[in-house]
Amino acid sequence: MRTTRGCGDVALTRRGLLAAVLASASLTLLPGCSAAESSEQITVAGSTTCLPIAEIAAEGFKEETGVSVLVSGLGSSAGIEAVSNGTAHIASSSRGLNVEEQKLGLTTIPIAHDGIAVIVNEANPVDNLSVEDLCAIYTGEISNWSEVGGPEMDIQLVNRDEASGTREAFRTIVMGDAHFDRRAAVLPGTGQVRDVVSRSEGAIGYISMGFVDSKYATTTVKALSVNHVEPSEKTIASGGYPVSRDLYFFVKGEPAPSAAAYIDYVLSERMDDMIREAGFIPVARSVSES
Amino acid sequence: MNSTDTQRPETASRPKRELALVSRSTYLKERALQYLFFACAFLAVVTVVLIFAFTMLQAAPVFTDIGLANFFSLDWAPTEGRFGILSLAAGSALVTAGALVLGVPLGVGTAVYLTEIASARVRAIISPAVDLLAGIPSIIYGFFGMVIIRPFVAEISGGLGFGALTAWLVLAIMIVPTITTLTIDALRSIPMGIREAGFAMGATKWQVIYKVVLPAARFGIVDAIVLGMGRAIGETMAVLMVVGNAPVIPDSVASPISTLTSQIALDMSYSSGLHRTALFGMGVVLFIISASLVGIVRMLSKKRKG
Repeated sequence: MRTTRGCGDVALTRRGLLAAVLASASLTLLPGCSAAESSEQITVAGSTTCLPIAEIAAEGFKEETGVSVLVSGLGSSAGIEAVSNGTAHIASSSRGLNVEEQKLGLTTIPIAHDGIAVIVNEANPVDNLSVEDLCAIYTGEISNWSEVGGPEMDIQLVNRDEASGTREAFRTIVMGDAHFDRRAAVLPGTGQVRDVVSRSEGAIGYISMGFVDSKYATTTVKALSVNHVEPSEKTIASGGYPVSRDLYFFVKGEPAPSAAAYIDYVLSERMDDMIREAGFIPVARSVSES
Repeated sequence: MNSTDTQRPETASRPKRELALVSRSTYLKERALQYLFFACAFLAVVTVVLIFAFTMLQAAPVFTDIGLANFFSLDWAPTEGRFGILSLAAGSALVTAGALVLGVPLGVGTAVYLTEIASARVRAIISPAVDLLAGIPSIIYGFFGMVIIRPFVAEISGGLGFGALTAWLVLAIMIVPTITTLTIDALRSIPMGIREAGFAMGATKWQVIYKVVLPAARFGIVDAIVLGMGRAIGETMAVLMVVGNAPVIPDSVASPISTLTSQIALDMSYSSGLHRTALFGMGVVLFIISASLVGIVRMLSKKRKG
């Protein structure tokens, strides 16, 4: 959906791919030994971003069916490799499959959308930025709001620390190969970014969609449209809002009945509120079919 | 306790045990205590040596894999393989210098007031307040700086309020207790007779303070300043919260910078490989700085006595 922008996907290493191919080959030879059929424990491995969703679902699922779900966050790539060589039933991922991974024969199941809102101070009259503007602002090329249709005012960049998944996603989607301006203030938390932007007129920052309207915060921030698309549940779910990503489950072939039941549980309506609470947007039932 | 006093003069000529004028059990107890306290004191030495050895060992690849040219360059971009700490060191120096400029007059002034001018009743209020200042956790200072001082700096500078200026204001308050307490010690050690001689010659209170007392206590005051400097350089949490953490040479005192300590704290959680090595290398640099500060203090106090 977002491949047109040419923002670099994380590629599996050649060694990792080889291992995955070998593992899947050995699996075809020994179908009976697959972990997917041997026990009543389901393993979910992969993205740390997906951890909250997978864990909340695991708790509810265990209560309902008695089947325990082991959730681990190793990173998306590791999860995909684990499911393709049979050491995990389900891979969770905060990115889609890259070209090489698409050859592994995995089934893609979107579980939630995650939108990153670009936020500015409420006093800022600017309502919209293109992805190109956003990139130029964060590289430091554009340093005054007047260059993007705003008032004569310095742009105060607020960035996240490098450990942040939001920063990584923003970098991949918006920046491509460009580098962040190193003069930007680096703050170690979503709440801090939101607070600072809400109190500084020329500031710009980015936070996960779920935190724009926070019931715990006393101040407000304004989320900008990007490429004239407003960030909302609808536009993020449809893929129209550019600075968003999907969170996925991947399974290999036909999942074991218990794993399939767990996936159904994650996608079921009672998880919707939980997913929203974790800061993500549930996949609309109509969209998930496509 | 008496036993040590009585035995001391003669220990040279005869074996200790026979000389002790106490029972054997008391003697053993005394010796046991002696070793116990020696162990306590020795632990400090062991800890320093172990920490230094560990940090050095972890930082060793700085020389081999990163290279000194890379390590002592301006560019800090760990994800791109550039580990230059100079902009961070500059940040530390800038933050510390400003904090001293603001904090030293404040601290020394407080000490002079408390020892030379204040009445006993006023002293009873101010003294504990200064002590309490030392007891406030640094994260509270950071929080105070972020919530109260940062918006104020943002207002007057027109920026975000993260930067050296905010750090100066926070650190200046933080180093006051260190400087004040040590300066008070230095001023108290000046004999009363010197002051009285000054007054006897017709000097006013102010003249006695700045022409007699302060010069006489100068080594002690420099001592206090150096230790305050150590506190400012080493401060991490409060600085991390107010400097903005941008590893660059800043355009102004109100634009984001980063320091050695805050960058270590920020990166430690996710760093690996050479990046982590570089952090330990920064630790070694900090260690050397604080060791030389302690060295300076030692040298000064030797001078004061000699």
